[in-house]
Amino acid sequence: MAPAEATIMSIEPVAPSQSVNVIARLSSWAEARFHVLAVLPTALIMLLIFGGPLLFSLYLSFQGWTKSRSLYGGGFVGFENYQMLFTEPAFLASMVLTIIYTVGAVAVEMVLGMAIASLLNKDVPLMRIVRSLLIMPMMMTPIVAALCWKLLLDPQYGLVNYLLGHQIVWLGDTNLAPIAVAIVNIWQNTPYVAVLLLAGLRSLPGDPREAAQIDGATRWQIFWYVTLPALRPAILVALLLRTIFEFRSFDNVYVMTGGGPAGSTELLSVYTYSLTFGQFDFTLGAAASWIMLITSICLCAVPILLFRVLEGRR
Amino acid sequence: MTRSASWQLSTNGHKLRQALPLIGIYLGVAALVIVFIAPIVWILGISFKTRLQTFTSPPLFIWQPTFDNYAAVLRTETFIPGLWHSLLTSGGAVLLSLAVGTPAAYAMARVTFRSRDLIYYSLLAMRMLPPIAVLIPMFMLFDALGMRNTTMSVVLAYTTFSLPLVVWVMRSFFEDLPAEVEESARIDGAGRWATLWLIVLPLARPGLVAIAILCLLLAWNDFLFAGVLTNNSTQTLPVLLASYSTADSGIDWGRLSASGMLVVAPVLLVSMAVQRHLISGLSAGAMKG
Repeated sequence: MAPAEATIMSIEPVAPSQSVNVIARLSSWAEARFHVLAVLPTALIMLLIFGGPLLFSLYLSFQGWTKSRSLYGGGFVGFENYQMLFTEPAFLASMVLTIIYTVGAVAVEMVLGMAIASLLNKDVPLMRIVRSLLIMPMMMTPIVAALCWKLLLDPQYGLVNYLLGHQIVWLGDTNLAPIAVAIVNIWQNTPYVAVLLLAGLRSLPGDPREAAQIDGATRWQIFWYVTLPALRPAILVALLLRTIFEFRSFDNVYVMTGGGPAGSTELLSVYTYSLTFGQFDFTLGAAASWIMLITSICLCAVPILLFRVLEGRR
Repeated sequence: MTRSASWQLSTNGHKLRQALPLIGIYLGVAALVIVFIAPIVWILGISFKTRLQTFTSPPLFIWQPTFDNYAAVLRTETFIPGLWHSLLTSGGAVLLSLAVGTPAAYAMARVTFRSRDLIYYSLLAMRMLPPIAVLIPMFMLFDALGMRNTTMSVVLAYTTFSLPLVVWVMRSFFEDLPAEVEESARIDGAGRWATLWLIVLPLARPGLVAIAILCLLLAWNDFLFAGVLTNNSTQTLPVLLASYSTADSGIDWGRLSASGMLVVAPVLLVSMAVQRHLISGLSAGAMKG
């Protein structure tokens, strides 16, 4: 049966009709180059709309910016834009703030996320409902989440201050504003970390933990010496993704404080945005965005290297 | 008498010891719900309050709900066009990135070719870069092409975020499918394209659903790119909402909450409905890499 069919199929392309011949040749051409044709559109879109512009902004970052605001009038200025940024106190302050903010927010998300994942891993009645409810914050539009928290943190009428019994001006205080802005992202993304780690917990085999329990290990010891090392890939993924996304936080700051008060929440993305679309200094903005890009790569390298070292020690 | 009493005591102690962890778990669950769900419920409540009810002190926990805020939001001249543009950009981005990205993911899963890993890892790297770095030149590119403030420019921008995601998640999904079915189809004379279209895609439906939702979320929730690439006539809902908050006339809490809930509701409903697929897609893509 099958061989007969195969012969019929192989005969078809040599049918006399001209149009069939063209189609057959076309389709065999498309078959032979399947992977090229399949990958090409993706590669083209990414190169033309993402890669090309990215390289263009690298070029821009070495260009000057003239008073007349003509794009190519400035000419090549070498590292002048970068020099200008690195001697600008506001930029350096924004850089330091962004790194502290990123490390702080990610640390809270990871620790809380791990705790929540262990809790969600308990198979007790109603837990499935809790698991599915908990994905709500992470699905919310960040702009809406930030607006909600702006209302919740309102000094006079906000729910948070009512519950605390104090009239705290969350967004008007230079010490509290960065925390208030971070709260929104922590609230949104801790469930995400929890979901990733929960999936990791679920895929772990039970045997090593049971063996440790039989050997008399306490639950804390089992968690620290058995579960945590086995979860390392999931932890690394969550850590990297959160670092990358926390570093580029923009929406929450834009809606809640706009970078204020007194620049206390001016994260790098907000700083770059206002340089570019507020002051219309595209070349300086491009330089700032490339500094951001390189810093973000360096930030990601830290956990990867750390995990390498940990892995090597075992 | 004494024996039965001591027996009862010990079973009570035993029961208590069994129940204690359970109580701890449910206390933890209660805390989770209060911290992560109550804020949403509270804002949902505000969207059903009149202006006076919003600003009472202490806050009202029980009141006669009003739908005035929703009616007012839907009657504004900007909300429905914003909704339309949000639907158009997210729908367009999802369709384009699935149509373009799925064959690429399949080719990378099943065919070994030169520079495959290079392309794959450059795609992933692009997903990881801070978007503001590409926003500035992308804005200039669309400006130069005469596509400034068009819906198409936003669709293309969103496609560049979701394509790496599609390739990443779908590649690992395709790799997990049993190769035997495809091999026997190919022995029977089906080409790569026919195999992909007739055999693989139907099998990959759960993965496609998950990745479509993830791409939809990405596009629907974006503010930064829509904020820069659109103007008043093409703005999406997040851009519209952000303009409410920065308005000089002060915030109307009821309307703001109502419009926020209208933006969030479709996403929450869809993701709750398909969350099993969603989470498996999320972790399938995240665990491999």
